[in-house]
Amino acid sequence: MAEDLVLDRAIRDWVLIPLSVVMVLIGVLRYFVSKLMRSSQVPDAKIIREGHVPLPLTLSLLIVYPIHLYSGYYHCTWILTHSSSFFFFGCVCAFCSSLPRQVILRARNLRGAANFIPPKSFRARRLYFSNELVLEECLHLREGVLVLQSRSWLVGLSLKLGTLANMGSELADMRAMGLVWLWSLVSENGLLHVPKGQAQNAQAQMFSDPNMAMDMMKKNLSMIIPQTLTFAWVNFFFSGFVAAKIPFPLTQRFRSMLQNGIDLSTVDVSYVSSRSWYFLNLFGLRGLFSLILGEENATDDTQRMMQMSGFGMDPTKSLGAEKDSLDIVQHEWALPKFEQRAEAVLRKLTA
Amino acid sequence: MAGHNESEKKQSDSTNDLQTFNGDNLQSNMKVIYYSRTFLSIIGGVMAGILGFTGLTGFIFYFLIMAITSVGLIAKAKFSVDSYFDSWNRVAFDGFLGGLMSFVLFWTFAYDIVHIF
Repeated sequence: MAEDLVLDRAIRDWVLIPLSVVMVLIGVLRYFVSKLMRSSQVPDAKIIREGHVPLPLTLSLLIVYPIHLYSGYYHCTWILTHSSSFFFFGCVCAFCSSLPRQVILRARNLRGAANFIPPKSFRARRLYFSNELVLEECLHLREGVLVLQSRSWLVGLSLKLGTLANMGSELADMRAMGLVWLWSLVSENGLLHVPKGQAQNAQAQMFSDPNMAMDMMKKNLSMIIPQTLTFAWVNFFFSGFVAAKIPFPLTQRFRSMLQNGIDLSTVDVSYVSSRSWYFLNLFGLRGLFSLILGEENATDDTQRMMQMSGFGMDPTKSLGAEKDSLDIVQHEWALPKFEQRAEAVLRKLTA
Repeated sequence: MAGHNESEKKQSDSTNDLQTFNGDNLQSNMKVIYYSRTFLSIIGGVMAGILGFTGLTGFIFYFLIMAITSVGLIAKAKFSVDSYFDSWNRVAFDGFLGGLMSFVLFWTFAYDIVHIF
């Protein structure tokens, strides 16, 4: 710090304070604009419903609906050739983008709460997610699902599968598990199972969803346009001012960062040009925004970037990872232990 | 400001190490920590600026503020951190550096307004 610059008070009143205030107000404005521009929640409602699909009542619905919802994602071509129901194809495509994430979420929930359900239920659910059928079984099931008419056949098949997975073979249990079994029947391979050849296809479908791309574009626009405008405004009105001084010394390397816009190599590095003050505000006001706008503020650029890079990620990879971690879960039912726990709590209370 | 949301008791008994805390409440508690830290880093920045701290003193002041925040949060949790958070260093250190950017910005802002002009 060789010598102190003497800055005009007018710079404080007409550059520093207005710039900061405008940055805050622009942030607030951007938040509300992006809130307005957020598209109607129609597709989201579907996704939410899809998270816990209402169990269809009739058998026919039970067959058709889940096929198209779940396995349809990976077996689109199969559906088209076999049931030739072109009508559902659109629905399948609409669901495609959200499907893997939802399935992963549900599998994760199962993994998290695994110890709160009995072993039998857990195994059934795990099978539902990570079932891998051998080829002949697959073929058998395929024609089976198509032919599926009578209840007795279903019982037989379920029993067969029940022994396959070490499940109890009692009929009562079978009935209790019936629905879950039917799920795993219908989805053939478990939701998290990714067929070898279709990984690329799934990704391509995800990107072809126009709604998602539109949403992304809107978000990006609501981020870029105000930034560009503000930057142009700052450049136009305030270029060349030494507007501020940071209260700690820095090395020369920070000169390009802090004195953007003034080309003086003799000025101490801790003096900040107005354009750099704009950048400092851009990054430093995030905390303030999260306070005054709540958690949901649209200004968090880094998170947005992470989300965007998440888009490019191969969804099938995360499906596979989730399947693996679900496979190695050590299940231990918590309920038998709860008596001891209750005893301990009561003891603590009485003591 | 600290955890006004009761989270479920996390038993630290040796009988079971089952995690029985409520995820939503835990997250809400974490959010409260984040908010109070951000708030205090902004306030602390303005304070440091008005008091005219420069250089290392200001950063020491920041860490002092954060330490006080930690103590305050723990006191708000009635010193039984286990029943509100899943680990001790969560409440003590989480977001310690996150507020630094806000602190520096408001420190600079207040310091400039008061002192350099």
